[in-house]
Amino acid sequence: MRLARFICGWTLLSLLAASAAAEESLVIEAPAGLKKVPVPADNPLSAAKIELGKQLYFDPRLSRDNTVSCASCHAPEKGWSNGERFATGIKGQKGNRSAPTIINAAYQSFQFWDGRAIEVEGQALGPIQNPVEMDLTLPELVEKLNKIDGYKKQFQAVFGTDANAESVAKAIGAFERTVLSGDAPYDRFKAGETSALSESAQRGMKIFFGKGHCSACHAGPNFTDGAFHNLGLGMDAKEPDLGRYAVTKLEGDKGSFKTPTLREIARTAPYMHDGSVATLEDVIEHYVRGGVANPYLDEEVYKLQVTDEEKKDLITFLKEGLTSPSYPLVKPPKLPE
Amino acid sequence: MRMTCLVAALLVAFSAATARSEVTAKPVVTNLNNPSGLAIQPETGEIYIADSGNQRVLRFKDGEKKADRSIAVAISGFGKDVYGKGPMYDIGPLGLLFLSKNSLVVGDGGQKDGSEQLHFFTLPDSGSELKVDAGKAVGPIAPGEQSAMGEGNFYALASSGKSVFVTSNGDDTKGWVLKCDVDNNEPGKLETFIATKVATEVDAPVGITMDKDGNLVVGQMGEVNVPKDSLYTVYDKEGKLLVKAKTDLNDIAALAFHPKTGKLYAVDFAWMDSKEGGLYRLDVTKEGEETKVAAVKLASLDKPTAMAFTADGTLYVTVFGTTEEGVKNAAGQPMKPGKLLKITGDL
Repeated sequence: MRLARFICGWTLLSLLAASAAAEESLVIEAPAGLKKVPVPADNPLSAAKIELGKQLYFDPRLSRDNTVSCASCHAPEKGWSNGERFATGIKGQKGNRSAPTIINAAYQSFQFWDGRAIEVEGQALGPIQNPVEMDLTLPELVEKLNKIDGYKKQFQAVFGTDANAESVAKAIGAFERTVLSGDAPYDRFKAGETSALSESAQRGMKIFFGKGHCSACHAGPNFTDGAFHNLGLGMDAKEPDLGRYAVTKLEGDKGSFKTPTLREIARTAPYMHDGSVATLEDVIEHYVRGGVANPYLDEEVYKLQVTDEEKKDLITFLKEGLTSPSYPLVKPPKLPE
Repeated sequence: MRMTCLVAALLVAFSAATARSEVTAKPVVTNLNNPSGLAIQPETGEIYIADSGNQRVLRFKDGEKKADRSIAVAISGFGKDVYGKGPMYDIGPLGLLFLSKNSLVVGDGGQKDGSEQLHFFTLPDSGSELKVDAGKAVGPIAPGEQSAMGEGNFYALASSGKSVFVTSNGDDTKGWVLKCDVDNNEPGKLETFIATKVATEVDAPVGITMDKDGNLVVGQMGEVNVPKDSLYTVYDKEGKLLVKAKTDLNDIAALAFHPKTGKLYAVDFAWMDSKEGGLYRLDVTKEGEETKVAAVKLASLDKPTAMAFTADGTLYVTVFGTTEEGVKNAAGQPMKPGKLLKITGDL
């Protein structure tokens, strides 16, 4: 049974029910160019769970003062990021890292720039509890949700219990697994549609996968190796953000941050973990400089040698080639009372 | 012949924190410096060890009694490079492979990427020590169209009889397995052969061996800071990917088939958490079109790097470490001595 467009305003995903009788086995049809969407065994998808997760994602009541939702910093119309250098939490508080895009987060095991959470379900409760972001303790969150009749009924229907921290994480995670971008001109070109990319983008693609060395880290269908690399950004600060090192305590992880996807990269400026690079042109210049020298600089980062024309081609490929016409511009749902 | 004093006192069996009590790992040579390659000499059964951090290749004769054992420098004078992320290690020669009793191939890791070479040596029956320039060197794969950075760190070697294959680190967009045709032990040109990263979307081919059908079996190490991403892969003679399967291992560093049982074994270096490192048997099964690999842990080992079976099925494994207890590696961290381990028990 095809359940395409079953969520209000959501015209970009098509979902297949593996069994009409068992709603808890929805299969998300991945856009062209992407692999099968990973779904954890303990969080099978259903239309009702995804809808519940969507409501939670857009609901500012998940913050202490009812002003900040997940979507505040990961907004669909801003590339599922926030268009600013840093994330902004309640009372205008600023974090110290940019808000990574949610796009294709389902394909990444490590979540957050430093990978401190595993899978989107493992990530979902982090910002809610962060005092700088949404600032709710889990007991407060659960109590708040269970006082909203519309949520209480949905949690009962989907999970068979009132809201609890685990079910909140699973519902939000289920929704985030549907935020996908593929079927971009690059995918179509790769599938044989030779007119899908302009000549400039094709030249840029060749640089990307060749002498530009970009695909050393931005590899695979989601344009990320899922690993952590030190590009040197911020390492010249007095007290640099050590990124992955804070999690692993491994010397080699100092100043390393997760490789972001490049899907929809034209929509997700500013760039890098600290949002310090405003444009893609500036990103290229960062690599032309060979990153910022520091003892932990990744061996894959070295001075990119490209002409001005090649820089333009590379950027054309990134903007034109990886921007999907079926971008997941999800509209906020009606929130339960 | 310069004899060294590296033969281990075998008085204390190395517990090796075995995952299965039937398998034990006993050090037979200690105080090695980041040993990284192993090969068993045909006919003599002598064990050649890439004593990488000391920029030399050793030959070790094992035996039941201490008096039967000996060790000597076979080849010296390799270059030195530093390798690693976080922990950084001094390295020199890496992969070893015998083409015949007197023909040894050494993959270098002691130069910078783009200048690394594959060295073919004719070993004298006298056992005299050779210098690196006594061999015939092929390569490098310099920076260019095929490899943006040039290739380096020739980790491990395998032979089809007609060609030598070597896993390489350099252009991480490609992840090359290189090939060098060989005619009567005379090497031809070193060339790029399989772009494993392109084929598998996972980094770093490292372990390599040949299966009984003449296919190349490659252990794709994966990212050092991503756990459990190592792959088991098989390529045909033309370099076409036949099989790609997850192993749930962290960083496969070496692969070898048991010469009698045909079973496949791997060692996992486990960069992120060396406590997870060890010796594994890879049980490969097919379910429909899908190949599944079950990695069965046989012994916990601290930073294993290379492995080789003797003709009778005795397994040796090298583990990383510095010459003496507590000597610091290139990142300033104290290390345990590098060792050659003899693995006994039910594999």
